[in-house]
Amino acid sequence: MDVLPVPLPSAKMAAVEKRRLPVAQAANFTGSGRPGVSRAAATAESEEDFLRQVGVTEMLRAALLKVLEARPEEPIAFLAHYFENMDLRSPANGGAGEPPGQLLLQQQRLGRALWHLRLAHHSQRTAFNNNVGVAYECLSARGRKKKPGLDGRTYSELLKRICRDGEAPEEVVAPLLRKIQCRDHEAVPLAVFRAGMLTCFVLLEFVARAGALYRLLEDPGLAVADRHVGQAVLDTLEGALQASDDTTPARYLEAGSRLGPDSLALAMDRALVAQRPSAPMTREEFLEKAAALFIAKVKPVG
Amino acid sequence: MASPLGSCSSWGPAGDAGKDHWSYLVAAAATMSRVSVPCHVKGTVALQVGDVRTSQGRPGVLVIDVTFPSVAPFEEIMFKNYYTAFLTIRVRQHTSTHTPAKWVTCLRDYCLMPDPHSEEGAQEYVSLFKHQMLCDMGKVLELRLILRQPSPLWLSFTVEELQIYQQGPKDLGIWFQVSPTLPASGQYAFALQSPSMTFPKWLLHPVPCEQPAPLLEGLPDPSRVSSEVQQMWALTEMIRASHTSTRIGRFDVDGCYDLNLLSYT
Repeated sequence: MDVLPVPLPSAKMAAVEKRRLPVAQAANFTGSGRPGVSRAAATAESEEDFLRQVGVTEMLRAALLKVLEARPEEPIAFLAHYFENMDLRSPANGGAGEPPGQLLLQQQRLGRALWHLRLAHHSQRTAFNNNVGVAYECLSARGRKKKPGLDGRTYSELLKRICRDGEAPEEVVAPLLRKIQCRDHEAVPLAVFRAGMLTCFVLLEFVARAGALYRLLEDPGLAVADRHVGQAVLDTLEGALQASDDTTPARYLEAGSRLGPDSLALAMDRALVAQRPSAPMTREEFLEKAAALFIAKVKPVG
Repeated sequence: MASPLGSCSSWGPAGDAGKDHWSYLVAAAATMSRVSVPCHVKGTVALQVGDVRTSQGRPGVLVIDVTFPSVAPFEEIMFKNYYTAFLTIRVRQHTSTHTPAKWVTCLRDYCLMPDPHSEEGAQEYVSLFKHQMLCDMGKVLELRLILRQPSPLWLSFTVEELQIYQQGPKDLGIWFQVSPTLPASGQYAFALQSPSMTFPKWLLHPVPCEQPAPLLEGLPDPSRVSSEVQQMWALTEMIRASHTSTRIGRFDVDGCYDLNLLSYT
């Protein structure tokens, strides 16, 4: 760790040196008097001006703000993606020939919106909501011909795309889509859009967790899980979810007690002891059943 | 009001069964479970020398009698002092044989006010316990409290809000480890049990008398499974809690249509 800071000061010093050089050169010209000094000052000023004219300062500031908001684990990759997508965001798309067709524009908009939505994890709620707002605006600006606003068709397509990219199996997400989709011609308000996006991303995380859980439960040799054990775990989760509907803290204590290691161990033990032969539970089936528990709690649209 | 710590009399379930899986008990908390014993407090009687009708002499000794409708075990007596300096308690116990019950002094000249002339201790709440008594208080028929106040400064003195308690059921407030079977999981719970409170079933788990069956080998790691399941639960709860009240207006049929809700086709 001691090695690391060393290059930085020297880099800084190099930058400072660079800036000092014209001044030093100007100092050499003190003999000639005024012109040397003003040239150095002009150089320094023009650098800043140049940056500002090109818009780099603004761009970098926006990029850094985005990084701060998203707090990605790999900031360099994040910045790379950001600058890649910068191109798409400029309205004058390089001005190459005729404007791209409607479908391409639509795809671009979806891509952009998706990129915005993926910037922050859903647990960083403020950042996530900001990004949802930006994505909503991006999707709602639909060109001169159509009226502004997000229509149901685009919304549904976006949902499907998110689920597909999140590697969630079709059967798992289909019930969710049925619940939160909007009809093609309907206009989707921001609140519904936000809720839908949140539900989608949370479901993806839920399915990922369920996948990890399946990996824990599966028999290492057979790569499948015992049906009774899997069912016992899912039943325990269902029981914990079915607790009374009011949001008292006691509910969390109750759920914690039910889902503690010992009660789960007892449940799994009881399931194994039963020893009734049956077909093992595949990963898809497990994921489907787990997702069904989640989707049951989602409020349908409308 | 002082109540002593750690005065519960048993560490585990009633009887000695299953003592080993209470070996994870951490500590016994305060005895909070008491049951109030119904008693009848007779009026104070001042002991005076000579003619009782003389209103001038202020008596320095008062006697309060407490009777019990049924024979009761004694655990604690609690009262609010009102300028009593010294307290003596005599008890008449129920004896199994046919001998008449005798009065025995169980507390002798207990000092409630260090200085009878000053305020200190004059209006305090006092608790006296079984272990402070000189004799065994298993079967109490009657109690007699003898109050003394030698100082002439106070117009009157007595004790108020007299309450007698007996020991509640054995499961007192204790900390216990939720999983006696899996010592690795550090889950603790505090259960306060008293006959007046009913507890939800999940809080009484695990039932202490139940012998844990030995777990089969080859079970998936319960703590990791539990961690995943709890996260899944939390995600579901979050979605259940967050719902938008904005309706898409799909089935609105009244006349006020927003521009955005009109058909786009």
